[in-house]
Amino acid sequence: MGIKLNLSKKDKIFFIVFLIIYIVVAVLNYKHVGKLEGVGQRWIIGIGISENITLRLNPLTVIMSWAIMVFLMLSAVKFKKNLRIIPSRFQAFFEYILSFIYEIVEDSIPRKELVKPVFYISATLFLFIVISNILGGFPGIQVVPTDEGIKISLFQDTWFSPTADINTNATYAVMVLILSHAFAIKVKGFWRWFKSFFEPNPLMFPMNVIGELAKPISHSLRLFGNIAGGGILVLILSYMTKYIFIPVILWGFFGLFVGVIQALVFSMLAIAYISAQIE
Amino acid sequence: MENMDLAHAIVQAAKFLGAGIAMGFGAIGPAIGEGHIGAYAMDAIARQPEMSGSIVTRMLLAMAVTESTGLYSLLIAFILLFIV
Repeated sequence: MGIKLNLSKKDKIFFIVFLIIYIVVAVLNYKHVGKLEGVGQRWIIGIGISENITLRLNPLTVIMSWAIMVFLMLSAVKFKKNLRIIPSRFQAFFEYILSFIYEIVEDSIPRKELVKPVFYISATLFLFIVISNILGGFPGIQVVPTDEGIKISLFQDTWFSPTADINTNATYAVMVLILSHAFAIKVKGFWRWFKSFFEPNPLMFPMNVIGELAKPISHSLRLFGNIAGGGILVLILSYMTKYIFIPVILWGFFGLFVGVIQALVFSMLAIAYISAQIE
Repeated sequence: MENMDLAHAIVQAAKFLGAGIAMGFGAIGPAIGEGHIGAYAMDAIARQPEMSGSIVTRMLLAMAVTESTGLYSLLIAFILLFIV
């Protein structure tokens, strides 16, 4: 089986012009892309409450999180408005994603009445994280601090994804931990939940507590490492090749492929942690 | 970087060495793990080719979980390089 490309003359001319522009821009980049600055640095502003206490805040995380939330809300409103029995393309897409997650939740949660709440939590986490990860695969506006001050780079780097900030991930991971214990108390009752820390014998109590506290750490660091590490790797590699060819491929790989898989892993681990507490 | 006294130079060298060692040794474990996952997934696909779709999905998920130990060392390397 061979792949046959049927290109018309118009397409061929388009590709040739595109390649010429690409190479010219690359050569110009080679002259003008200067020293790489602010790798791994974040734009942080400090808000002083009193003399000793300062809040350190990453404004990009806040802006991008709100933008994604607004986007999700608008698409939810659009989804609700256009509900049909014969689905449109938009509706079918969302139904496919959500039913995929619903089946995973149904398989792993033993109690019927808890399937829906757990599904809401994991689907919300998945939608938010997958959109913010995919944003990390598209070129956009990025703000980095340098020695002279703040540098705004337009379309040289990708958008800042909120999951590249450890605070976002840690919030969700701690939220999942608290929710899993809340579900456990609701299902088992307080005393049976309390006793589960002293199993198989009371000597294991510190081990059980440490095991529970280690969950959010690994849960949040996995996502953070993938997204933040991938972003820095792409930046350094595309700087070394002066933005010829490689960024498109790497942005696609780290943004779309790794991003979707990590979002799926995050929400599946949330389901697994909750179901482990319920049993 | 031109006028740097000896102490700073040693600290700088130690940073780079530490980052390289952390990443180099940290990559061994995930590599072995992912190799195992890939090998057993290939075994399973060879036995039941009709299941290959769901096996590949689960293989990718398991690989993403296995990768995380390597990512911890990547984080430590980045912290050494850019933050400390």
